[in-house]
Amino acid sequence: MSTIIVDKIAKSFGATQAVKDVSFEVRPGEIFGLLGPNGSGKTTSIRVILDIYQPDSGSVTILGGPMTNVKLNQIGYIPEERGLYQDVPLDRCLTYLATLKGLTEDQVNERLPKYLAKFDLTDHAKKKAKELSKGMQQKGQLIAALIHDPEIIIIDEPFSSLDPVNTQLVKDLLIEQRNAGKTIVMCTHQMNQVEQLCDRLVLIDHGRVLLEGELSEVRKRFRTNEVIIDALNPLPEQLKGVSRIEKLNDAYRLTPQEGITAQELLTELVEQGIKLNSFEVAVPTLDEIFIRVVKEGNGDYE
Amino acid sequence: MNKTMNVARYEYLHHVSNKRFWISLIGIPLGFVLLFGLSALLSRLSFDTRPVGIVDKSDLIQLEPDNSINSTFFEPQIYLQVFADERAALASIKANEIQGYAILPEDYLSRFQIIYWANKQPLSDVISLISDFVSKNLMVSENIAPEVVSRINEGNQITLQSLDGSQVYEETNTDRIAVPILVGGLNFILVMTSGGYLLQALVEEKENRTLEILLTSVPSREIMAGKIIGNLSIGFTEIGSWVILLGIAGVVLRDKLEFLMALDISFSYVAVSIALTIFSFIFSAALMVTIGAMMTSSAEAQGVTGLMVIPMMLPVYLFGTFMNNPNGILPRVLSFFPLSSPLAIALRMAISSVSQMEILLAFVVIFSLTLLMIWLAGVAFKRGMLLSNPRLLLRKKFNKETRDA
Repeated sequence: MSTIIVDKIAKSFGATQAVKDVSFEVRPGEIFGLLGPNGSGKTTSIRVILDIYQPDSGSVTILGGPMTNVKLNQIGYIPEERGLYQDVPLDRCLTYLATLKGLTEDQVNERLPKYLAKFDLTDHAKKKAKELSKGMQQKGQLIAALIHDPEIIIIDEPFSSLDPVNTQLVKDLLIEQRNAGKTIVMCTHQMNQVEQLCDRLVLIDHGRVLLEGELSEVRKRFRTNEVIIDALNPLPEQLKGVSRIEKLNDAYRLTPQEGITAQELLTELVEQGIKLNSFEVAVPTLDEIFIRVVKEGNGDYE
Repeated sequence: MNKTMNVARYEYLHHVSNKRFWISLIGIPLGFVLLFGLSALLSRLSFDTRPVGIVDKSDLIQLEPDNSINSTFFEPQIYLQVFADERAALASIKANEIQGYAILPEDYLSRFQIIYWANKQPLSDVISLISDFVSKNLMVSENIAPEVVSRINEGNQITLQSLDGSQVYEETNTDRIAVPILVGGLNFILVMTSGGYLLQALVEEKENRTLEILLTSVPSREIMAGKIIGNLSIGFTEIGSWVILLGIAGVVLRDKLEFLMALDISFSYVAVSIALTIFSFIFSAALMVTIGAMMTSSAEAQGVTGLMVIPMMLPVYLFGTFMNNPNGILPRVLSFFPLSSPLAIALRMAISSVSQMEILLAFVVIFSLTLLMIWLAGVAFKRGMLLSNPRLLLRKKFNKETRDA
């Protein structure tokens, strides 16, 4: 049974249609990427899933039914607009947010020190949020999202404004949570992170689903016969069976003619006496797939 | 409910631990004491307690002046002193023993004209004192019985009775005016303290960008209820503290406050007024939530808190209208408007008669409007608090969007 089922949801604000006919499913224990350019409807979709907004049409099933107050306690959420109470000491702020997720103060007192230690915040627990660095505040928000041991973790733009060290920390944390059986929805437009973390993804733009599926399957679907070679000597201007030669930084991208396989291309290169350092079939990056799908979808990706 | 109380407790402790709360808790009564204390002291120091002389050339005066009440610092008395002739009075005024003297000329009984001699303008108390004393002597000279003289001086007591028998108003019962003052003060304090804190709490939630986390932990109406309960409790804490302080002051100054024990105010009148005040506050709290959803900064919120006081205090601004015709259209309309209703009804009940049916109807109207306002606040809170330009909410929300509520 899917953890989250989004079925044909639509939501508009006045004349602006933020989301239209969006459907996807998130399975238990996976990291699911909800992708899309800025203003594509990702955050609105998340807010509909979280019952902050009621959809104009369509429905959301979460943990087997509609959202309830009890289910709110089983969700950990980090919104895109990060926030903590700025004038309140970190430990008091986190205790308050944890009790709103159904923990008793005794439970918070037992768990919080461990989380603070894990995120290297023990020495900063009594400081007000405004006295903490941005990275520390981000870690505080992660604690708020995890301390109640939620079944589902939803993170909007998990890596925005994080330095490389904290980016790695969040990535490790997401993998750890997935390994612990938690379902994670990651809402982002940073494709390199998605490639490293996500099991499945949905790409939406202008409120519509453009692409959905397993990461490996999506990449396979968009794979071409192009090859990338690192040649030790310059390539001739034309090669038999090659329709286009593109010079990259330290390599060439060869686009074969219709019906020509990579193997045939390799044979041709060898026959031409070109010495190769490497030869690989080009697999499109998610960035490339993203740009291509969005451009094909509406042609105005910025 | 548990989460509502969690929100309420957090709000309460957060604000109570803030120095603004303590400044307000101590500063307001201290300010009042300083203001009224200084004003009373200055007034007392400028009160001339020297006797006032009377020179009777018309042979009217038969009674001795009643100088039996002791003059104290808190209740100063001006005594009358009868002089045999003008020369003696003049000598006394030159010796600074009296503040002035009145002369009843020989033809007083034909012209009824009194001349008052003094170096400075007399207080109205002095004029009343002379006038009352001369009037009493006039009546005695006409052989009117002393008890009738006394009755005439006290004036008639007119009792107003509503036709259905539900309301009785005694014209001389001026004690009732204490209730509108109480209601006005309570309203003002609740709005300026609890209301201000509430609006600030909402805007801070926006500034801290914590609302979205809250909304995924607690249903919006529970957040709103928690915030209202928490911030209302702050107002009651302040009022409770001041009541205790007043109680202590009352015990200490009990000899000086005997008049309070003699106040003739019915319990039901006070109860109606306070109940209306609490309903009115809940309405204004919901209104503040709705407005708070549109605000983007604490500075804006503070401005709105001040504006909220204006409709509440409308009956005070329109005091003349209320006095002239307490059951006229305007006082009646204001009795059904939640923000002004407590003060309007309390004021009307103090100076006139308001039927039970009208009071009941006011409760029904205000209760219904309060429920409606809470519903609207729920919609505004959930929608407006997350919009980047919440003012657009005014245009969007109350048409198509309201069905989401």
